[in-house]
Amino acid sequence: MTTATEAPRKPSVLRMLLRDVGGTISLVLVVLILLVALVAPWISPRDPYETDLLAIMQPPNEIYWLGTDGQGRDILARMLYGLRVTLAMGLASLIIGGVIGAVVGFCAAFYRRADGTLMRLMDILLSFPAILFGLALAAIFGPGETSVVIALSIATIPLMARIVRGSALVVMGLDYIEAARAIGMSDARLIWRHLAPNCLSAIFVFSTLRLGQVILLGSALSFLGLGAQPPLAELGAMAAQGRNFLFIAPHISVIPSVGIFVIVLAFNLLGDALRDALDPRLRI
Amino acid sequence: MTALLEAEGIAKHYPVRQGLIRAKTVGTVRAVDGVSFSVRKGETLALVGESGCGKSTTARLVLRLIEPSAGHVRFDGVDITTLDRAALRAFRRRAQIVFQDPYASLNPRFTVAETLREPLEVHGIGDGRSRKARVEELLSLVGLAPYHAARYGHEFSGGQRQRIGIARALAAGPDLVVCDEPVSALDVSIQAQVVNLLRDLQRRLGLAYLFIAHDLAVVKHVADRVAVMYLGRIVEVAEKNELFRNPRHPYTRALLAAIPHPDPARRGRIVPLGGDLPSPLNPPSGCRFRTRCPFAQEICAKEDPALEDGVACHFRDELPPAGLDFSGGLAPNAARRLALFAEAGRRQGTP
Repeated sequence: MTTATEAPRKPSVLRMLLRDVGGTISLVLVVLILLVALVAPWISPRDPYETDLLAIMQPPNEIYWLGTDGQGRDILARMLYGLRVTLAMGLASLIIGGVIGAVVGFCAAFYRRADGTLMRLMDILLSFPAILFGLALAAIFGPGETSVVIALSIATIPLMARIVRGSALVVMGLDYIEAARAIGMSDARLIWRHLAPNCLSAIFVFSTLRLGQVILLGSALSFLGLGAQPPLAELGAMAAQGRNFLFIAPHISVIPSVGIFVIVLAFNLLGDALRDALDPRLRI
Repeated sequence: MTALLEAEGIAKHYPVRQGLIRAKTVGTVRAVDGVSFSVRKGETLALVGESGCGKSTTARLVLRLIEPSAGHVRFDGVDITTLDRAALRAFRRRAQIVFQDPYASLNPRFTVAETLREPLEVHGIGDGRSRKARVEELLSLVGLAPYHAARYGHEFSGGQRQRIGIARALAAGPDLVVCDEPVSALDVSIQAQVVNLLRDLQRRLGLAYLFIAHDLAVVKHVADRVAVMYLGRIVEVAEKNELFRNPRHPYTRALLAAIPHPDPARRGRIVPLGGDLPSPLNPPSGCRFRTRCPFAQEICAKEDPALEDGVACHFRDELPPAGLDFSGGLAPNAARRLALFAEAGRRQGTP
């Protein structure tokens, strides 16, 4: 009676991503960046903190591929290690802020009574720029990576909460949520098994875009001297140290800046491509 | 015959608030306003009415998916509006729901097996192996094959999805299934299959249905009794054949008269309803139907007629006979569909 027709499988997200030029490029770049950060200690040509006062401010050459900075440290080595610090700060603040924000968002969508209060709280957080949080926290705890991570986490919470609440509200209106309620499961099971998995694509897309922004903000705070402290290698801090020699040896500032630019661009492009790839309307 | 489900004066009022800081209630939407009915064991009560009259809200109220503003719902003699968490879970095992939209009612990330296993897991029915067997049993019960279990919802057609939705509702072994327009989103030929499946399941499992519909051809096929809703109230309740043969409330007559008639000689005796459904935010005083009723008198604006003897009308005994026999001549379209239903039923036999 009911003949089972073999429905074509939905193309995987990866395949959808690779269909798009921007998606392919950004995916390759992001994977490369993460890989380099992961294996930095093994591929680094020398110690990033080793100074050679006989070879300061050297432009890129065959010994120092990316040149040396004001204290004669190898910029390539510092870039590799700095990438780790920069990415770690970005990921940490994204995960901390993202998880808290997502919980707030799900609660606001699920417990409608709390919605108004929670969202007004988020609006308050939203009204402070991230840099201001960084300044305030650096004043309280002293400058350092921890202050940067806390500041960026707080700045991420309301954004993630809004995104999650929005997509959760859409899912909440669907019949399968009502069916789950009618079955009589607990709220926790309903949110975890039915609500959250169906909001994942929005969370992924936003996280990817936000990671780029957070890395940029983290580098900006380090550049302002509120984040990573010398001699720690961090892309923003490296750019800051080179600014005194901008006219004598521009590569000291320019190379880390280009690094930041490429990372942020890669994550932003990936976020855009992911949004298109996950959009069910574009699936064939 | 004992009542399995009894609704007594249930109501759902939604306050309309205005103001930013201190919201003030400026009005109340009376989506459902004092509805009483009962569903007996193994019987089908159809709830009909135009869109916006509160049918679906009533369905959700009797399952306590939304909290009633007033009134009581008794299931097997127990008032479910006051149940605590544990008792409510036990109730959910016995009363289930099938939804209108087969595309929105299945979690896209679940396989069919996961969807059907979930009620068993939530209620702690059986162990791993017996659940697997139960899933296969449920699939065959609704006319699907065991190999469908591993597939996702999007791999099925609308009718098949609706079967999965029915299987999910049956998983925990309910006594009552609320069907919220279960076939109105389906093609006519698929409607016949699903309607017959529901009837077949009712016979085999002794289910009671609260069947929400706006399609009178479907109602005529499945219902034992029919309740007609208008603007949050029930205006008439009757045995199905009685209702179609002798509609007593003016609204029921208008509803039945709206079915196109094959015989031109019988057309046009009843003036079709004018105007629109009044807003439930500000329902008319007295009888709610009076603004569109051809028989309205002064008393109708003053007094709200109670549902007595199955009809909520001041002139229940004085109205002229309907003058139409709705039991026989249905529109050619509807008649064809009924024939289709019957034929599909025969072909289906008992699976």
